[in-house]
Amino acid sequence: MALTAYRWLLCLYPRSYRDEFGEEMVSVFRHARSELPPAVAAKISFYWREFCGLLSGALRAHFDRLFGPAMPLRRFNMQPQFRFPRSTVFLMLVIFAGTVLTIAKAASVAGGLAVWPSLVSVLMFMLLTMCTAAVVVWGILHTLRRSGVHRLENVQVEANRNR
Amino acid sequence: MKAFALSEPVLLVLLSLAEQPRHGYSILKDVEALSGGRVLLSTGTLYGALQRLLSDDWIERVEEDKTPRDRRTYRLTSRGRRNLQMEIERMRHLTRVAALRVARKEA
Repeated sequence: MALTAYRWLLCLYPRSYRDEFGEEMVSVFRHARSELPPAVAAKISFYWREFCGLLSGALRAHFDRLFGPAMPLRRFNMQPQFRFPRSTVFLMLVIFAGTVLTIAKAASVAGGLAVWPSLVSVLMFMLLTMCTAAVVVWGILHTLRRSGVHRLENVQVEANRNR
Repeated sequence: MKAFALSEPVLLVLLSLAEQPRHGYSILKDVEALSGGRVLLSTGTLYGALQRLLSDDWIERVEEDKTPRDRRTYRLTSRGRRNLQMEIERMRHLTRVAALRVARKEA
């Protein structure tokens, strides 16, 4: 069953990646699984690590395919100017929540209703916004992939080579 | 590919291949041994690193006729070895500076 799930998750990778590494990955996974210690904690840890590794790997493979290896996704090719501290993300979320609350408060005052929106409704709104943003980003990436814009870099390389 | 700074998993994969050519599972176990059991690579992480290193010509596949497709062997290229040596030199410099600063602070 775990092997079936693993193969299913491999489908998240681009086809070219699967063709090149798929069989090897399944083989290594099978080998590693056969040598797992009997402890349940070790098994859970192993499957969790594999699950997360496959998801993040598939995401990176798609980004690499779209934008080439110059896309600053990893530390080993990340430029300092692209680094984005996690604390900034947290602060942005806090500011966003504050802005939403302020707008809601202003709207309620203007409407004569001095009622603050509940925390649940704010969180729901934020969740909805993030989901919408994710769908939009996915749509843009999908459109870019369909348009073949990622092949432009290869054209450029070929042009330089022919010079 | 920009050489510096390498992430720890990538550095360990390169160090593993610096000793001898290895196939995927062998790299996985060697990385675990090299790090004293601290770094446990998933297959997704391992093959993500291998794919990037292959495309940047830091490693290459060992072409053997009888090697099955699911057990291919990888080795460092001369470029990969050179870059690994540069990275080790960078780390050596960093540890030297760090040791000096810590010693100065303690004195």
